[in-house]
Amino acid sequence: MTNLMKSLLRWELFLIVAIVLELLIFSMITPGFFNIQNLLFSMNDFAYIGLAAIPMTFVIITGGIDVSVGSIMGLASISVGVLWMNGVNIWLALLIALVVCIIAGLINGLIVAFTDVQPLVVTLGTMFLFAGIALVISGGGSATGYEGISGFPDPFVEVANGMILDIPNVIWILFGVLIVFGTLLHFTKYGRSVYLVGINSKAAKYSGLSTKWIVMSTYMLAGLGGGISGVILTSYFSSARADLGSTAILPVITAVVLGGTSILGGKGTVLGTLLASVFVGIMNYSLQLSGMPSEQTTIVVGIILILAVLLRQSKWTYMKKRVSREKNQVPKISE
Amino acid sequence: MKILLKLLQMRELSIILLMILFFLFVGSINSEFTSADSIILLLSGSIILLVLAVGQSFVLLTSNIDVSVGSIMGISAAVGGTLLVDGSSLMIVIISVIGVGALCGLINGIGVAQLKIPAIIMTLGMLGILRGLMLIYTEGMWIEDIPSYYKMYAVTDFLGLPYPIWVGIVICLGAFLFLNQTKFGRYFYAVGDNLDGAKLVGLPVKTVGILAFVFSGMSASVAALIFIMNIGFVPNQTGSGIELQVIAAAVLGGVSLTGGVGTVLGAALGAIFFTVINNSLVYMKIPAYWNSAIAGLLLLVIVISDTKFQSYFTKRNQAKLSNQHIESQGLEDSSP
Repeated sequence: MTNLMKSLLRWELFLIVAIVLELLIFSMITPGFFNIQNLLFSMNDFAYIGLAAIPMTFVIITGGIDVSVGSIMGLASISVGVLWMNGVNIWLALLIALVVCIIAGLINGLIVAFTDVQPLVVTLGTMFLFAGIALVISGGGSATGYEGISGFPDPFVEVANGMILDIPNVIWILFGVLIVFGTLLHFTKYGRSVYLVGINSKAAKYSGLSTKWIVMSTYMLAGLGGGISGVILTSYFSSARADLGSTAILPVITAVVLGGTSILGGKGTVLGTLLASVFVGIMNYSLQLSGMPSEQTTIVVGIILILAVLLRQSKWTYMKKRVSREKNQVPKISE
Repeated sequence: MKILLKLLQMRELSIILLMILFFLFVGSINSEFTSADSIILLLSGSIILLVLAVGQSFVLLTSNIDVSVGSIMGISAAVGGTLLVDGSSLMIVIISVIGVGALCGLINGIGVAQLKIPAIIMTLGMLGILRGLMLIYTEGMWIEDIPSYYKMYAVTDFLGLPYPIWVGIVICLGAFLFLNQTKFGRYFYAVGDNLDGAKLVGLPVKTVGILAFVFSGMSASVAALIFIMNIGFVPNQTGSGIELQVIAAAVLGGVSLTGGVGTVLGAALGAIFFTVINNSLVYMKIPAYWNSAIAGLLLLVIVISDTKFQSYFTKRNQAKLSNQHIESQGLEDSSP
């Protein structure tokens, strides 16, 4: 167990070192890059990935996956917009939108937990379903399918654009989400059972855990994460759109996997996911600052994703070999 | 009753049945939907998804997944577009475009089968890499001025059907015969059904795994060739976001993500059904923004009811088997 903790710690340390190196290299290449204020504000552009990726970590740890999170973002955004346009108080609208997203997560969770359909297939279906519902709501609300709703009140726009103590609000929110979800995953009984379901679902069941409820709840958390992310994006752009998160799903999964969560389940930390989103975010920002068009930065991110998994994998096989060698030696010593 | 159950168990038949019901339903609302012209239009509209779904089936059968097909389609379309604009001969265009797809698939395959990177990670990475490379290659510009002789293939009939439909039929039948009638084709099922078992009996597991990705890449480049034909230019976002539709279509057609289950015919039918759902709303006078909601709902309902049905069927079979077992044991006991 301590070995496992050590190797996990090492990966997060590796990510921190990578972020520091990244900052050093880019400040050497691009003069005037190392400006704390600018860097903090660049976080605004990618914090939404982290906000959705942190709860997604739970789902992937149980061995599942949720590709509907991007659609849930759009659903949250358009719910806030349409409710507000119909005269609902903006904060109440925000709360209702989050509840809607938790219900969306509940639908995912119910189907995944109570049928034999694979999580990828289920959430693929709900991805189309939720995106469609968001479009229908926006079509019914303003009669124009893709057009956004804008003109939100200032206090709502301030949520993602304001600052407290010279630090952008978004960073505070990201920090808050990290602490809440980090505590939930790493310091509660519930968190331990999430890991157990991912490592060995049968063992979890026979030790009296309600595995179905645990699996279902992780999808609800992922839905909530998508909701928070969608609301923050709406506030940030001051515009509600049904297709807001349509391209978010791949970066979100990249962040979770780069953060050290195994796609096969049972392994991963919330901190790793956050660090990976920061790493990818700074990489995008810096590459753009040094003149690379934003669409082309996907090359670098893709290469890093593949290399990181290769790196982790080779270490893992090495460790596995060592363990099996030790096992083989035990009988000899006893003889 | 027994025959009906057997038939329902064959996914291809149940999807055809569903599709006929759906056609009759929409046709009863608007008879234009069932006219030969609109059916041919629907079929040609579904060919891109169909070809991609057939390619994806190879990967899904070996219990992997390929989410990079959208980007492979994009970069192949870019290469094909520039070659066509430069006036290269059709043969050169086709060979080099399919070469690009095969190469991308080969890289995916080596990553997954040789380096043991989980397929979803490898192809997710490639999705980003290839999209970026395409934008570097095109310098962010759209490729226009595709020669009109090439665009004409999309609407020219051959034996009563437009060329793209023939391409779809040939690929679909070719893949089906390869997978079901050749020894090597059966390996794909074996590898996906039981990897360790396939290894033990000495099948070339790695080659099969790599080839599956190569086929998927090649299908993406064929889709790109048809895309250029249909659209007449190559936008930057060619193929982006199609990967999830492709997987949904294959799953709709009964190809399992756990490997070893399903046929390319099923996947092709799934792709056609997916297109039919998306195009039927116009005929029912429902606003187009209902498309994804209805497609998603139908996908979920079909997949869930299929799983429920299959598990009911296996349980029944098991019960029958164990009954037989008990009976035969009883006979043995009483015989001496």
